[in-house]
Amino acid sequence: MRERFRALDPRLLWVILALMALGTLTLFSAGRNTPQAGIWLKQSLWNLLGMLLMLLLASMDPRRIFRYSFPAYLVGLVALAAVLVVGRKIGGSTRWFMIAGQTFQPSELMKWVTLLYVSQRLGSRNADTVDRLELLGAVGLVVFPMLLIQRQPDLGMALSFLPILLIIPLMKGLRARWVVALLLLIGVGGFGAWKFGLKPYQKQRVLIFLDPSADLRGKGYQVNQSRIAIGSGGLIGKGFTSGSQTQLNFLPVKTTDFAFSAWAEERGFLGVLLALGLFGLLLGRILDAALAAHTHAEAYFCAGAAGIFALHLLVNVGMVAGALPNKGMVLPFFSAGGSSTLSFFLALGLIMGILHRSRVK
Amino acid sequence: MDPRQRPLLHRRLGAFKVLAWGLVILLVLIYAWLQLVRHGEFQQLAMQQAVKVRPLPAPRGLVLDRNGYRLVDNRRALHLVIQREDLPTKLEVVTALAAALELDAEALARKIQSYRMAGKGRPLVLKENLDEAGIAIAERVRARFPFLSMEVAPRRVYLGDELAGHVLGYVGEVDEELMKAKPGVFRLGETIGKEGFEASGNEKLKGVDGQKRILVDQLGTEVANFGQVDATAGRSLFLTLDAGLQKVAQDALGQEAGAVVVLDLRDGGVLALYSSPSYDPNLFLNRLSQDMVDRYLANNVTRPMVDRAIQGIYAPGSTFKLLVALAGLEKGVITPQTPIYCSGRKNFYGRDFRCDKPTGHGSLSMVQAIAQSCDVYFYELASRLDIDDIYATAEKYGLTERTGIDLPQEKRSRIPSRAWKRKASPRDPKWYAGETISVGIGQGAVGVTPLGLARFYALLATRGKLLTPHLFYGFRSDQKSELEPAPVPLFKETGLDPQNWAILDEGLYEVVRGGTAAASALKEITMVGKTGTAQVATFVDKSHYARQAKKLKDHALFAGYAPREKPQIAFAVVVENAGFGASSAAPVAKKLVQYWFLDRLANPLPPPRGKLVDPFAPPAQAEAPE
Repeated sequence: MRERFRALDPRLLWVILALMALGTLTLFSAGRNTPQAGIWLKQSLWNLLGMLLMLLLASMDPRRIFRYSFPAYLVGLVALAAVLVVGRKIGGSTRWFMIAGQTFQPSELMKWVTLLYVSQRLGSRNADTVDRLELLGAVGLVVFPMLLIQRQPDLGMALSFLPILLIIPLMKGLRARWVVALLLLIGVGGFGAWKFGLKPYQKQRVLIFLDPSADLRGKGYQVNQSRIAIGSGGLIGKGFTSGSQTQLNFLPVKTTDFAFSAWAEERGFLGVLLALGLFGLLLGRILDAALAAHTHAEAYFCAGAAGIFALHLLVNVGMVAGALPNKGMVLPFFSAGGSSTLSFFLALGLIMGILHRSRVK
Repeated sequence: MDPRQRPLLHRRLGAFKVLAWGLVILLVLIYAWLQLVRHGEFQQLAMQQAVKVRPLPAPRGLVLDRNGYRLVDNRRALHLVIQREDLPTKLEVVTALAAALELDAEALARKIQSYRMAGKGRPLVLKENLDEAGIAIAERVRARFPFLSMEVAPRRVYLGDELAGHVLGYVGEVDEELMKAKPGVFRLGETIGKEGFEASGNEKLKGVDGQKRILVDQLGTEVANFGQVDATAGRSLFLTLDAGLQKVAQDALGQEAGAVVVLDLRDGGVLALYSSPSYDPNLFLNRLSQDMVDRYLANNVTRPMVDRAIQGIYAPGSTFKLLVALAGLEKGVITPQTPIYCSGRKNFYGRDFRCDKPTGHGSLSMVQAIAQSCDVYFYELASRLDIDDIYATAEKYGLTERTGIDLPQEKRSRIPSRAWKRKASPRDPKWYAGETISVGIGQGAVGVTPLGLARFYALLATRGKLLTPHLFYGFRSDQKSELEPAPVPLFKETGLDPQNWAILDEGLYEVVRGGTAAASALKEITMVGKTGTAQVATFVDKSHYARQAKKLKDHALFAGYAPREKPQIAFAVVVENAGFGASSAAPVAKKLVQYWFLDRLANPLPPPRGKLVDPFAPPAQAEAPE
C-alpha cells in the first residue's frame, strides 16, 4: 500500500488538493439555503472516490493501461450510441444513463478514452512525421464520437474533444504553420461570413443548428448576472457566504456552470488570482509529465490532457466573465458533477503514473 | 527512440507551456478588468437589484358624521399585484396574464409600460378586494405567473352605501391626465379622492406614506429589512352632516329624483345634503371593473352621478318671489301695503300671463301675495322693475355666486341680466321686458341650485347673514372621539332692512299657517317656507297636463326655515317632475323638521351600517358612537 502512495506525485497532488479545497468551499457557499445545501458533501464524496481511482491508476504501469485503449474506445462508442436510445432526457437533451439513482454521462469519460486511444495509435508510429493517412485516421477517431455527442445534443462536450485533434498531431511533428494557417482561415473566414455574409435569420439558423437547446435570450441574463457577481466582488471579495449575487440567487446555476463566479464574488480578485495560479501550476505539471514521459503515447496523452484542461479553463472561466459565448463546459474541481469529476481524476491518475514511472526508471 | 531525446517534442511542449501560462495571464487580465477597473459599476448594479425601497401606504383617515358615527371606514382587503421590479416584459406573457385574469390585454400592456417608465411607486394592482372565490382564482393564476404577489392593503368602506354617495365621493387610483396636469404632486398608483369630500378633503385625509429599505432575493422576497419610515395615517375627519337627518332625507325622497339640503344656521354647516338618485361609492373601488361605468356613467336617464344638490339648476318658481319682493321694496317701486288686484290673468306687452288660480285672488298685499303665491301680483311687481335691478338684489344676497361649499364642481345659480343675455345668446342679445315678467315668478331664464336656494333662505332666517355652507366640521384629535373643531368659514352681513325682513318672514309664516303649504304645518314647531312649482313644459290646460308623461311634469320645490321664533335650520327641497310644490316638496321638509326637532332627541336613527360584509371582521358587534 505504501508503494501505491509513493506513486502519487507530490507537486501535482498539492495543487489538486488545493483546488479541491477551493471548489468545496465554493459549493458550500453557493448551495447554502437552497435545495442543494448538501451538494458540497456529495461533491466531496465524488472527490474522495476520484482520489481513490487516481491512486489506483497512478500505481499501475501506464503501458498496461494503454494496452486496453482500443477495447475501451469501442466500449465508449457503444455507450455513446446506447445513451441516445436508452438515455435519460433532461432539459431537452439525452446525455445521461441512470445508474443506481445516479446520472452517469458517458461522454465525459469517452473524451479521455479517445485521447488515450489516439495517443496510443499515433505514439506507436514514426515520430516527427505525420502522414496523411495517419492524420485522416486520427480525425476519424475523434470526429466520430463528437458526432454521436452532437446528436444528444451537447455542443460544449463535443467541442472539448478538439484539443485531441489539434495537439497530438502538433506534438508528433505536423508543421505548425499548417495548423496556424488553418486556424487563421477558419477564424477570418468565419468572422467575415458572420459579420458580412449572413443575414440575421441565417445566423439564428446556424446557432440553432450548432446548439438546438440554446435559449439565446435567456443566457444573456445568466451571463449578465455572472458579470455583476464577478465585478462586484472587487479586489478582496464580499467574504465567504456573503456574496449578494450568490446568496440571493441572482447568480444562476451557481453550483455547476457558474460556480467560479460565486468564488470570484466572495473571494474577489485575490481569490481569482489564487485559483488561476493553481490551474497554471496544474497545466505546467501535466506538461512536465509530457516532457518526462518514457513513450511517445504517454507524452501525447499528457499534452492532450493539458489541452483539454486548458480548454475547460478557458471556456468556463472566460464564459462566466462574458468574454466567450455561453457554452456549457464545466470547470474542473469547481463545478459539481460525478461523471466529470471521476473522469478528471482518472486522467490525473494516469498522468501521475507516467510521472512515477519516469522517476523510477 | 526515447521521446525525451526528441528536440521537436521538447520545443513544442515548451511552447505549449508558455501558451498555458499565457492563457492564465489572459484570464487574470479579464478578471482584473471586471473586478478592479469596473468594480464600482458592477457593485452598483448588484446593490440596485438586491436593495429595494418599498412604499408603505398610509391608511387614509376615516370620515365621521357630526356625532362621531362612521360614514367611511377602513378595512383590510387583499389585492393581486405585481411589484414594480417584477413587471413582465414579454408581450406574450402579458397577453396570457390578461387572458387568465379576464382583463383587456391592450390596456394591461399600456399600464405595465407606464409603470415601468415611472421610477418608484406603488405596485400595479391587477385585482382588488378579492373575496374568497377571487383569492382561489388569484392563487391559481399565481402558480402560472410567479411574478404576481398578494398584498394586504387598507380598503375604503362606505358604511351607508347610497346614503351620502355624492357627499362622500369615492377614492381611486390617480389617473394619467391628472398626473400630467399637476406634475410632481401625485405618485403613480397613488390612491386619491375622486369625487365628493374624498376629493375636496384629499389633502387632509391622505396621510404620509412611509417606506422601507429591504434586501430582496431574485424572486423579490424580502430577506432583510434595513430600516423603515412608518406611514403616518391620515387624520380622521368629522363632517357637519347628521347621518340620521341624511337618512330621513334619503327615505323622504325615496324613488323620486330630486335634492335635499339642510343648513345649520349657527355656522352654515351642512346637516344633510342628498341628491336622488344617489350612488353607492363602494361600487367604484374596483379599478379595472367596467361594470360601474355601464351602470352609472352610461345611465343617462336618471343621471345618478350628477349631484343635484350642488349641480342641478332648477327654475325656482315661486320660491324666487321673495327675492323679487325684496328687489321691489329696496328699489321703492312698491310698499308692503300697496294693493295689487289679481283677476286671474293680466296682459303685459301684448301677451297674456296667467295666475295659478284662474278665478283670481282679488286685491292682495305683499304678505297675502306671498301666502297665496299669487302670480299676477309678482308679474305686476316685476313689470315695475328692470331685470338688472333683480340681478343686483340677487348679487347683494349672494345668489349669483357659488356658495363656496367644500365639494368639487359646484355650479353657480343662473340669475339673468342684460349682460348675461348678451353672453348666453349672441344671436338674440337684446333683453325683452316680457322676459322680466316670467323671472318675476321664478320662471324663464332664472335657475338656482338647491344649495344656493337653501343659502338664500338661510339668509332670510338669519335676517341677512350670508353663510358659507360647508361639510368640514373638524379633526378627530386621536383614537378617542374628541372633536377638534375646524374654524368656521366667515359669514357676511348683507344689511337686510329689518322692516323688509319682517314682511318676508310674515309672508313665509302665512304660507304654512294658512297658505299653500298649510297641510305640512307641524303643531310643535313653527316651520316657515315657500312652495314653488317650476314648469318643465308649457301646456294648454290642466287636463292636458295630467295626461303628460312623468318627465314633463313640473318640479316641486319647498324652501324655508324653522323654528320661526329662533331659526336653527334652513332647507331647500326639490322633487323632480312631482307636480305642485305644496303636495310633494313641503311634506319632505316637514319630515326633516319633524326629525331634527322632535324625533332626533327622543328616538334617534341608528348609525349607518351598509350591506358590505367584511371577510376579515370578527362576528358583528354593536357599533357604538366614537
